[in-house]
Parts: sequence; structure tokens; C-alpha cells
Amino acid sequence: MAEEKKGRAVATSTAASIPKFVRGNLSATLKAKEEGKKVAAAFIADGQDEIMRAMDIVPAWGESFSGVCAAKRDAEKYLQKAESDNFSRSLCTYATCNIGFDMMREELGQAPEGAPWGGMARPDMMLGNGQLLCDPRFKWPQATQHYQQDVPVFVTNMYYPPWDPNGDHHEVEELYVKYAKEELHETVKFCEKITGKKMDWDRLAKTVELSDKTWDLFIDTYELRKHIPTPMDTGDAMNTMVPLTFNLGTQEAYDFYVSLKAELEQKIKDGIGVADPEKFRVIWAAGLPSWFALGDFQYFNSKGVVFPVEVTYRGCEKIERLDLPKTNDPLEHIAWRWVRYWTHWYDAAKKRPGSTPKVERIIEYIEDYKCDGAVFHSAFSCRSWHAGIMQQAATLKKVYEDIPILIMEGDIVDISSYNEADTHNRIDAFIETLAAHKARKG
Amino acid sequence: MDYFAGVDIGSTMTKVVIVSDKIVASLIGPTGPEHRKLANRVMEEALKEARLSFDDLTYIVATGYGRINVPFADRQITEITCHAKGLQSLLPSVKTVIDVGGQDSKGIKILNGKVMNFVMNDKCAAGTGRFLEIIADSLGVPLDKIGEISLTAERIAPVSSTCTVFAEAEIISRLATGEPIANLLAGIHDAVATRIAALVKKLNVEPDIAVTGGGAKNVGLVKALGSKFGRELLVPPEPLITGALGAALMGKDIYEKYAAEGLKPSRSGHKLEEATFFK
Amino acid sequence: MTDIRDGNGLAAAEKLYTQYGSRARELKASGKKVIGYLSALGPIEIMTAAGVLPIRLKGNVSEAISKGDAYMETIVCPFVRNVFDAAVKGKYDFLDGMVMPHQCDSIDRTNETWNYTLNLPYWHFLNMPHVADDPSIAFTKEILRIFVKSLEKYTGNKITDEAIAKAVAAHNQNRKLMRDLYDLRKSNPPLISGVEMMKVCVAAMSLPVEESSALIEAVTKEVKERTPAAGNPKAKRIMLIGDQIDDVAVIEAIESTGAYLVMDDLSTGSKMYWQDVDVTPDPLQGIAERYLRKLKIPTTFIGSAPTYQGILEERFGHMKNYVKEFKVDGAILFIYKYCDPYGFEVPAIKSYVEAAGAPVLYLEDEYSTSSLARVKTRIEAFLEMIA
Repeated sequence: MAEEKKGRAVATSTAASIPKFVRGNLSATLKAKEEGKKVAAAFIADGQDEIMRAMDIVPAWGESFSGVCAAKRDAEKYLQKAESDNFSRSLCTYATCNIGFDMMREELGQAPEGAPWGGMARPDMMLGNGQLLCDPRFKWPQATQHYQQDVPVFVTNMYYPPWDPNGDHHEVEELYVKYAKEELHETVKFCEKITGKKMDWDRLAKTVELSDKTWDLFIDTYELRKHIPTPMDTGDAMNTMVPLTFNLGTQEAYDFYVSLKAELEQKIKDGIGVADPEKFRVIWAAGLPSWFALGDFQYFNSKGVVFPVEVTYRGCEKIERLDLPKTNDPLEHIAWRWVRYWTHWYDAAKKRPGSTPKVERIIEYIEDYKCDGAVFHSAFSCRSWHAGIMQQAATLKKVYEDIPILIMEGDIVDISSYNEADTHNRIDAFIETLAAHKARKG
Repeated sequence: MDYFAGVDIGSTMTKVVIVSDKIVASLIGPTGPEHRKLANRVMEEALKEARLSFDDLTYIVATGYGRINVPFADRQITEITCHAKGLQSLLPSVKTVIDVGGQDSKGIKILNGKVMNFVMNDKCAAGTGRFLEIIADSLGVPLDKIGEISLTAERIAPVSSTCTVFAEAEIISRLATGEPIANLLAGIHDAVATRIAALVKKLNVEPDIAVTGGGAKNVGLVKALGSKFGRELLVPPEPLITGALGAALMGKDIYEKYAAEGLKPSRSGHKLEEATFFK
Repeated sequence: MTDIRDGNGLAAAEKLYTQYGSRARELKASGKKVIGYLSALGPIEIMTAAGVLPIRLKGNVSEAISKGDAYMETIVCPFVRNVFDAAVKGKYDFLDGMVMPHQCDSIDRTNETWNYTLNLPYWHFLNMPHVADDPSIAFTKEILRIFVKSLEKYTGNKITDEAIAKAVAAHNQNRKLMRDLYDLRKSNPPLISGVEMMKVCVAAMSLPVEESSALIEAVTKEVKERTPAAGNPKAKRIMLIGDQIDDVAVIEAIESTGAYLVMDDLSTGSKMYWQDVDVTPDPLQGIAERYLRKLKIPTTFIGSAPTYQGILEERFGHMKNYVKEFKVDGAILFIYKYCDPYGFEVPAIKSYVEAAGAPVLYLEDEYSTSSLARVKTRIEAFLEMIA
């Protein structure tokens, strides 16, 4: 309950270094000015990471900051600040938490007292992205500009071919790649204008190369979790995603997964699993977690339920599986990687009538990681990842197998509608269905 | 002498105020299920108290959420406008009004008795008297006692849920772990005050701040609200009648405005009879 | 079909409004293909050129969602949920297909839910960009070309550039006629009420373009000829701002207090009619430019001006013009719950329109009349406040 904030014990010791990454990213924004670097308010998974890294632009990750506020159960005052200027409580709480913080910082001329880990610096620019997945990625910077009127906003647009069971995405992939590439060029132009520096294209190419290597290493590492008992759980993955998600294109990110991989290999050798005994394996099939209730993963683990795999924050794939056309243009490479990351499940979905790529991805993981059931999380303030979950769950049951499914309800930041006792009750009931299902299957 | 009546039909209480150059009668009766159709009874009582007959009334204004169902009223004006008017006559220094009613809460910015801006809560019960009512009920504490009891708390037991259903469950489970009722009530009052403050802070809040409505009778809530605004809040002597008083005064204003031009405002022509609350 | 003659335009609009989709049902029975679409982003010119009837889908604010919630989350836009519920219940059983323009997450994220649940013969997700720079115009043209091809494949008929150009001319003419009708709201009192205007706007989006134009012309003629009601010169003139408001309930709440609704910035109202498609050698160029650059909707990011004030003018300048041209005394910003695109604009719109001289009442509500009494109190209090 509210006052006794539960710490989230991580199963892997490598994951214990994650707070350092998160803190480092926040303090990098605060130190940027004295280091003569520009700060960009930015969004994860929108293809701009390498451009920022190659131009020494320090990303200020609003989503991360709001997640930290939520995990510390310290978001309410920022949510209320935003609400005081008529931002509805039903809007994306990552955004409203961050906007509330920005409003206070503008009024005070400095980060408000007691801001988690010193808060985040005022950006020199805001980079948004129009995607097929999240309206706040361009509405949030635009709304923030109302309070930081001198900070320029640039919104790029990166799409991928929408899923059409009767269409052929191969015919339109190139069109989408061309558009994404052009939009990335526009991003570079904007960043050059703000920083007053020209893009070092060789450096960008090397950064992209490092990202590709990190993608591969990330997947190699995570695939070790196929082992029974699994050496790492989604509860940990909500931490170990940080280097890939927030530090892509840096050596530190790559090195982190080298350590994590070594640790998981050792655990497998020693026969150490997350749960002992491991009774049920479940996929985290969609949804961002309730950052204020990560302890729920331990609740699952304590009952012998483990999550060897999750869709959330697995924002990469083995490069070879994407079959990317050769190119010397790093932006074109980013564009292809982005488009294929989404479309490479389309062919599989076509082969199974009634299926969709999202469901196909879940099926692939269920089979590869030998899962007995699926858990989805529906966060009320976030439509981008959480609308359409019911459809995925229903389709999964229809086209694949009638496996036990739990749809949990909560939010990413706003604790006010969360109820721990109720959540645990539902988890208990889900575990009973897992047991019944497994017994029936024999 | 001209007499003006204000009738405020709220979700739980019906209030009637009759004024001339001063308040000559004020009466409060329940709107509650069995009395819903009997707004006229409260009016009759008020007339009796003022030793007047219905025909002595010059002009009648109805307000509150049942305002459209008072056939004998000459005019309907929202409770927001009436609260501002009533409060100005009671506590002229007030610039911000927080009205905590049974079904809704509102914030009103006023200047010289006129509404400058206002906010109202959405249909969720959190931040209204209804929320406190449900909690009092599930704790088995009389509603009129919860405020006083909350003041005896050793600490404010934080309540994370603002959803009524969840909060109720949370309170019950906390009670089971041995948290004293007073602490829980302090927590609930704090949670309600937090929601109301979040609503009212959408206005550019300026002191003095007053609390009206049924919530103003709850000392625990007034104190919790005060802590959210960092100052003591004013409460009129009878916080429930502010709207009805404002309505009566609005009627007086309207009548005098016409009179200044040698005219008379049109009347409803209805007799004092049962208000058909549900048509 | 509904007979549109001189003198009965308003009656025809009323009927088409009350029995929404009745004309589409008739045309379907006579063999015409009917394609439903959501939002102001539906490129009606192309559908008209394809020989199908485009009908903009609406829900019913008086009807509770009873079936849709089994398939779609309650965090989705209440408007989208309500229309989906209506479709699941068979209200649109005359549809041959649907076009889902990529406007917002609530549409984009539920596209598969719609497609797989309704299972119509034709389905197209039109992937409109969120930005309006030059690469985006080029991309939009390609996206429209793909749409043209898919319609050709479905109908079996070639859609020529000439046919598109003809449809563009017909829809531009339709828009002009509607603007002429809007002009009749400028007088005090306005010649046509807000409630009547809403019925005409809703009726118009359910008809083939020629019939829509005939309806608007008939209404205009009728309104001009009728004896104007004795108005109250002191009554407040209100503008309504929002996305898809397609029912008279809120407008009745405004006008029953004696105020006049004289203008709107709604996706069912002026947004549909204020901007024409330019005639361009490649007709898709003009269409792309209209839907991406001219149509000011919160899901298309605009921000090329060098200053914040300049950006506000780009985004909301048209509303400042409306306040002036239609002598607006106050504005009501009516936003649906869970709407990120509009929700994030509220502080900016509110302060901009207030600076333009019209106080703004911001209301957040469901797409439902269940809380109408509450909404009404706020509207009345607002009107008392600005009186």
C-alpha cells in the first residue's frame, strides 16, 4: 500500500547496475550545459538515437523521468500541476507528469525541490515523432512548448506499412523506407541548425554499426532465458531494457549486455532459476508495467510463476532475421531496420488465417520459450500500447490455443486507481487456471 | 416591503431563504427520496417562520440541481452564480469559493459578487460528499462525526486510491491490519481534499478562500482543505444556505433593475404546489 | 429518397439526421456500393470518383455501449467506442466496406479490432502522416495512389484523373454552398439556429455529393425566405470547438438558455467546409495538400513558424477569424475524455481564443448524454458569467 514502498529486488546482479544508467542519463542532461552540449527532449524507439549520439546531443528522456517519479511514488504533485492548467487526468500520464514538472521548473527557474535524482534539465530542443503507435510523441512536445516557448520543436514522421491481411507489404516497404529516410534527413538538418555543427557521417555509420551489434547481443542474451528454469524474469527485463532503450549507440550499452550474458550463462551452468521450483512459464504479452508496482513480478515469482519472455521493450531483433538490403547510407539503414522490425512478422501472420503480426509474435515467443499462459497489462492512461490488447488476446485464443490469459489493469504512473489486494487476487485466480490448464494438457 | 425568496434544491438538501432588506427566514429540509416532491413544504415552513403568505413574495429564484423543477419559481439561475452572490453578502473579503456538495464539488472565483471563473468535478464521486458518505457507511461511523474523529488521528494514514470502490476496499483491508479508524478517516479526508484542491487549483486561487455546502460542516475536511491551500479557510455561519441566499438576492437585484426603469419582471404565475421533481 | 424541394430543405435535413444512413441504405438496395469512413481525414473526393457512396460514420449519444466493450477497451476514445458499438449492433449493416484514416491512436490501435470484428468485403487503412513537410506531401500522394488502386480493384472500375478532377469540383462546390449557408449565421439573430445547422451538417455527410449540395441549397433558400424570428439582441453568440460532435444535445443545451450557437470549429462542421482542394495537374497533389496542410486538425503537427506566437497563428488563426467574422462572445471547447490529440491542446486553445476576445468554457465529457444535466449547468453558469 501507499506508504510502505516495496523495493524491487532484481534477480540478476547485472541488473543492479541499472539505476546507475538511469541516473547517469538524468545527470547527463544537467551537466550538458557546462560541457557545451545541447540537450534534446526525446522519445525512445523512434529511430533518432544514433543521430543524437553521433552529434553529441544529450537526450532527455521524458518517459524515463516519469517512470522514475512513478517508481518513487512521487508523481502526484506533477500530475496535479499539469491538471491545474486543464490537462485532463485521462491523458498520457508519462506526458502530464513530465509537463507538470516542466511547468514547475519554468516557474521556479530551476528544478523543483525534491525532484527525483535532481530532475531533468531544460532542453535546447524537443524532438517528437509521428508514428503508428503514439500520439503523445508529437502532442507532448507541442504542449510543452506552451510553457517553454523559446525551445524549438521538431517532429519527424516514421511509419511502417500497416498490417493488411489482404495486401502485400513487400510492395510498399520501399515507399515507407524512402519516406522514413527523408524524414531522418530532416531530423539531421534540424539538429545541425540547433547545434551549429555538421553531421559527421562516418561517426554516424560507426554508431549505427554499434547499435546493430547491440541488437544482436541483446537477442543472444535474452534467448538464454529459453532455458528451464529461466535465469531471468520480465521483472528484471523491465530494468535491463534501459541500455538498449535509452543508451542505444553507446559502448556502455553494449558492454552491459556482455556482462548480463555472462551472468545468465553462469546461472544456467549452476542451474539457478528465478523461481525454485519453476512451476509455470508465462509470457508478458503486451503492455507497459505499473512502475509503482514492479513488486507484482516478485509476487508471481513467489508462487512459482516466471516470465522468460516479454514483448514489451524487446525493441530489437537479430539483424540477420530482418534481411536488410545493403546500403552505405546509415539513415537508409536505420529506416530499413525500423520498417523490417515491424514487418518481419507479417509473412508468418499471412500463413495463419485470422492471425495478426502482433499475435504471431506472441505465438513465436510462446513456442520458443515454452510458455503455459499469457499476461497482458492494460494501463488506462496510455492508448498507444494498450488499446487493442483485448483483440490480441481474443485472436491468440482463436487462432492458436485456448491458453490461460490474464489482463491486468493499472496505469504506468497514476497510482490512484491501483489496488494491490485486488491485483493479487486476480493473479491467484490466474495461477489456478494455469494449474488446471496444465493438468488438462497432461 | 418587498420579499424575495431563493430556493436551492440540492441533491440531498433543499434550502429556502427569504430576504427583504435582511434575511427574514432560512430553512433547510432534506431533498431525500421521500421528500423529493415536497420542495413546497420547505417553502411553506419558511413562509411560516417569516409570518408571510406566498402572495407576499415579490420574486422567486430557484437554483441548484433541481432548479428546473420548481414551478412556482419565476426564474432559474445556476448555483454557481448564486453561490458567488450569496457569499459576497456573507463574507465580502472572499475571492475563491470551494463548494463541496453531496454529488459534486466546485470552485468559483468571484469579484464583487460576480463569477469570474469556475470549475466543476466530473461525474466521478471522488472529491465529493458522496465519497465521505460511502466511507463513513462502510466504517459504521455516523457521517456527522467523521470530521471530528479524523481530528484525533495520530497520523494521516495515506490512501492511494481515489476511486471510491477501490478506496473502500483499501480502507477495509487497512482496518483489518489494525490501523485506527481516526487515522484512516484522516487519510480519507486528506484524499478528498487532495482531489478537491486539484480541481480548484485550475482557477487562479486568490485569498480569502471560503468553503460552503455540506462539506463545510465537516471540520476534518475544512482542516484538510486548509492544509492543501496553506491557509485557514473561512466558513460562513450557515454554509448550506449560501446558494439559496444568493438566489434570493439575485431575485432582488433583478426586480430592482426592472423597477429602476419603472417596469416589473414577468412572473411564473404558478401557485405554491408540489414540485414535480421527476417529471 | 427524401424529396428535396423548395421549402422543405430543413424538413429533409431533419429526417436524414434522425434516420441517419437511410439514404445510403436506399442506394445500397439499388446496387450502389457504400463505404463508411471515420473522421475529417476521409478523402471523399476519391470515393466519389470511384462511384461509391462515402458515408461518414457517427454513433448515437443517447445509446449506451452494450456490445462493443466485449471487443474494445474502455480507454479508447468514447466516440470511437460508440460508433464501433453501433456497427457491431448492425446499425451500419448496409456497408460494403470501410476506410480508416490514420487520425489518432484510438483509430490506429483499434483498426484490427474493427476489421476482424466487422469482417466487411472491403477494408482500407489510410496511413495519413502526422507531419506536413514536403516529404510527407510526397508520401501522402503515394498513400492516396495506393487507396485509389485498392478501390479500383474492389469496384473493378478504373478511377481516372478526370473522374477525380470532376469529384474535386463537385466537393468544392458543395463546400462553397455550405459556407454560403454558414454566412447566414453572421446576422444578429442568426437566420439559422445552431440546432438546425447541426442537422444539416450531419445530413450532408450521409449523402452523395450532388444530393448533399441540393440539400444545402434548399435549406439556404428556405432559411433566407422565412420570416426571421424576433431575436434577443443581447443574447450571447457562442462558438463550439471540438472534434466529432454530431448530435444536437449539447447545442440544445446552449440554445435553450437563449444563447445562439453561431459558429463552430468542429470536424463535422466548418473544418469540413472551409478549405477547398486546389485544382492541380495531378489531382492527388491538391487532395494531399488539403487534407495534410489546409485541414487544421490536432493530429497533424504544425510548427514551421519561427516563433511560438507564429505557430499558434498557424494552428488556431482561423478561430480568431471566426470570433471576428461571426461576432463570437464566448466559446465552448468540448473535448471527449481519453482524447490525447485534443486534450494536449486545451491550454493553448483556451489562452489563444481568450486572447482573441472570447472567454472559453472547457468541458471534458463522454460521447453520451448521460451527464448532460451536469454539462448544462456548466454551460448556463458560463453564460451567466459572461452576461
